[in-house]
Amino acid sequence: MTFETILFYVLALAGIVSALLVITRRNPMHAALFLIVNFVALAGIYLTLHAQFVAITQVLVYAGAIMVLVLFVIMLLNLQNEQDLFEKRSWRSYSGPILSLLLLALLLRTVAFVSGGSFDRISPESERIGTVANIGQQLFTAFVFPFEMASLLLLAAMVGAVILAKKRFP
Amino acid sequence: MIPISHYLILSAVMFTIGCAGVLTRRNAIIIFMCIELMLNSVNLTFVAFSAYLGDSAGQIIVFFVMAVAAAEAAVGLAIVLALFRNKKSVDINDVNILKW
Amino acid sequence: MIESYIPIFLILAVAVVFGVVSANMSWLLGPQRPNRAKNSTYESGMEPVRTAHDRFSVKYYMVAVLFILFDIEVVFMYPWAVQYRNLGLYGFVEMVVFIGILLVGFVYVIKKGALQWD
Repeated sequence: MTFETILFYVLALAGIVSALLVITRRNPMHAALFLIVNFVALAGIYLTLHAQFVAITQVLVYAGAIMVLVLFVIMLLNLQNEQDLFEKRSWRSYSGPILSLLLLALLLRTVAFVSGGSFDRISPESERIGTVANIGQQLFTAFVFPFEMASLLLLAAMVGAVILAKKRFP
Repeated sequence: MIPISHYLILSAVMFTIGCAGVLTRRNAIIIFMCIELMLNSVNLTFVAFSAYLGDSAGQIIVFFVMAVAAAEAAVGLAIVLALFRNKKSVDINDVNILKW
Repeated sequence: MIESYIPIFLILAVAVVFGVVSANMSWLLGPQRPNRAKNSTYESGMEPVRTAHDRFSVKYYMVAVLFILFDIEVVFMYPWAVQYRNLGLYGFVEMVVFIGILLVGFVYVIKKGALQWD
């Protein structure tokens, strides 16, 4: 058992437990805080895959920016607990988990096909490809067009958020 | 060494948890958070394949997924705000005007 | 390679342990003799009139949204800055186009008055 292996299993457990807590907490604020735990655990898992820059960005963007906005909206709306969710048993509360378990079975069946060959150990290349330098080189040569399209996407999001959030313009 | 299937199983389990959340919860913000969870588990698959195959494309796609998630957060939460302004609630069962 | 991150994990562990321990130590060590006056929000102040949860103004939302979108922009600028010398003029033009498109959105937001505080 190397340090990396122990780290992966501890973080995987933390990720699954926090994900379960996200979907079961009634208070949206608690759910959001457990989602942050999940994102930080995932950042640690990215480190075990030698993806340093992705790990840092995960903390910066997801835990740092997106979850701030989500927590902010929860405080903006001042939501109360979702009271009647677990009391009112509808077809929804049974069919959701059953369909999800079917999906899990399907996904695990697909995962079973991926094994052997280069899938048994991390490629020695991975130490190099996770660095900021390599990501920059690839992003600005092979992925130029998606990169420029990302700016259009952000522009559209900016305009959309202004239109939707602003009640009336002066 | 950890085989890639362990990463993929973790990703599948987290995706399923997110999916179960979307199907069972009624609070629009929590549904939104479950979608973020699903996006993240797919990111994990991308990074895992990138590291095991020694190809940087997977990690770069993760950055685009993050850009999409940020845009989705901006517009999605603005929709939740507009919904709350009109309905005084974020329960998706109250949003049924287009329901057949 | 992951071993070089051990100091960071140690600091994380210390931060979590310190936070949990110091938050619970006073509860463990201190005497507990609560009464009504002690449990009130301000022991010798005014009575609180309503819940502490209050709604924020939607004005803050636009600031938070713009923060996220420009945060993503900066994330894309890190690898560009690291590779700037290798990419040369080509990389510079790419980034000018990227920032130019986002600047259009910024001008739109300002023109619409979404950031006006009034």
